[in-house]
Amino acid sequence: MGRLAAGLRERLPVNRARLRELTNEPVPHHLKHWWFCLGGTPLYLFVVMVATGILLAFYYEASPGRAWESVRFVSEQASYGWFLRSIHRWAATLMVAAVVLHQMRVFFTGAYRRPREFNWVIGMGLLVLTLLAGFTGYSLVYEQLSFWGATVAANLTENVPLLGVMLRRFLLGGDSYNEHTLSRFFVLHGAVIPVAIVVLLTLHVALIRLHGITELRFRTERPGTPRFFDFFPDHLLTELLIGLVLMIVLCTLASVLPVPLGPRADPLSTPEVIKPEWFFYVAFRWLKLFSERTAFLSLGAILLAMTLWPFVDGSIRKRRPDSEASVVVGIAAVLAILGLTVWEASVAH
Amino acid sequence: MHPTAPSADLEAAHAGLPRRRFLATVSTTAMTAALLSSYGTFAAMAARFLLPARERRTAWMLVSDVAAFRRGTTRTLVAPAGERIVVARHGDASDPAAAALDDFVALSSTCPHLGCQVRFEPQNHRFFCPCHNGTFDPEGRATGGPPFEAGQSLPRYELRIDRGLLFIRVPLEGVA
Repeated sequence: MGRLAAGLRERLPVNRARLRELTNEPVPHHLKHWWFCLGGTPLYLFVVMVATGILLAFYYEASPGRAWESVRFVSEQASYGWFLRSIHRWAATLMVAAVVLHQMRVFFTGAYRRPREFNWVIGMGLLVLTLLAGFTGYSLVYEQLSFWGATVAANLTENVPLLGVMLRRFLLGGDSYNEHTLSRFFVLHGAVIPVAIVVLLTLHVALIRLHGITELRFRTERPGTPRFFDFFPDHLLTELLIGLVLMIVLCTLASVLPVPLGPRADPLSTPEVIKPEWFFYVAFRWLKLFSERTAFLSLGAILLAMTLWPFVDGSIRKRRPDSEASVVVGIAAVLAILGLTVWEASVAH
Repeated sequence: MHPTAPSADLEAAHAGLPRRRFLATVSTTAMTAALLSSYGTFAAMAARFLLPARERRTAWMLVSDVAAFRRGTTRTLVAPAGERIVVARHGDASDPAAAALDDFVALSSTCPHLGCQVRFEPQNHRFFCPCHNGTFDPEGRATGGPPFEAGQSLPRYELRIDRGLLFIRVPLEGVA
């Protein structure tokens, strides 16, 4: 036994002390508050989606003739298929929500400020990738709504300046939705986007480790509260608890509200009421408010402004250090997003 | 005089901390066990999900009119899922109207050894598998080669006679 361990140590020369130092980052005391642990939630959900997604891919067939039928097979015939598919879909919903909440927390606590601007930009990349994963994933089901949603979205990309037509042709694999489109979505959803997410996540976490977590003090804290606590085991326990709660929530949602399968896509008839996934309600309503080109370009401009906000905020605070501009902008943005989402959800057209 | 004070101190010193530690240990263990068992359940479900469904969907397919199926002849048909099936009529009952189900046999043409396609050799009155020289009698029983050593016969299909028509139960799914 001892020889085996020594032999293993020789072949895997890991310095125990350094490994402990590397994995055991000091965690600021404010992370005892739940609100500050939302960053780990999307990561956990991402792992759940990778696991269930690999399973679903065993049966999925990315061709217009077979896609809907293969999803029907998973939902109705394969053992536990309906449950795994429901978990995958609910995890996607919760992941979008968790990413948005995490981003709101970072925004309102000013954690994106100098020197952490790059990590906000990376975070924006992760938000966009999450939304793209949601879009491509929903398109794979090949129900009526996912087919028409994909058609509309692909045609919208034509409004991108200069590259528009090329981008649309790249996305659809032709001038319109055709037999090559689904395999493109499948590769994007199952390979390209997840790998990009893993790369950005690695950078995201590496930057957090390099900078350390932003420290916050609360007025309500008792004096003498220690500034830091250990990642292991204290914070890991918190994350375990979050994992357990998420598992319970996901299983409950998947069992009580299993994901339905809509009618098979019919390229010849658009349904009466057409809606994207709920996290695109904002964009969908926005597109109805203005002319197509204006709406699309302004959405792009808003995304760009969000991405570059840490630098904008920095220059404002350089001139007026006590400016509360970011709070005002943040509250306005949250209200606008909520308002547009509720508006879109409450009307048919 | 405060008679309760010393005992309260004692309780704090002897019971308070260990109780906290006890509760922490118990809850941590319970939590970890719950997480591990949920992942275990997930793994079991995943394994079951990937295993093919036990019940294959089948359907009754028409073979032919019983009266038109001459004794001593065979017919080859292809199931919707792509399997080749040999249906043969034996028996020497003189009354063709009193066709019994036992007269007919429907055999898969897939060798049970390694899945090659067997062919009927009328001159030898047997089925022959070209892959490893397996042989079967007209009833599908192995008579030589690896299937005989392993005691494997050609798979049979269920037959049914309904109002003078012969039907066969065939699987619907497969590569086709």
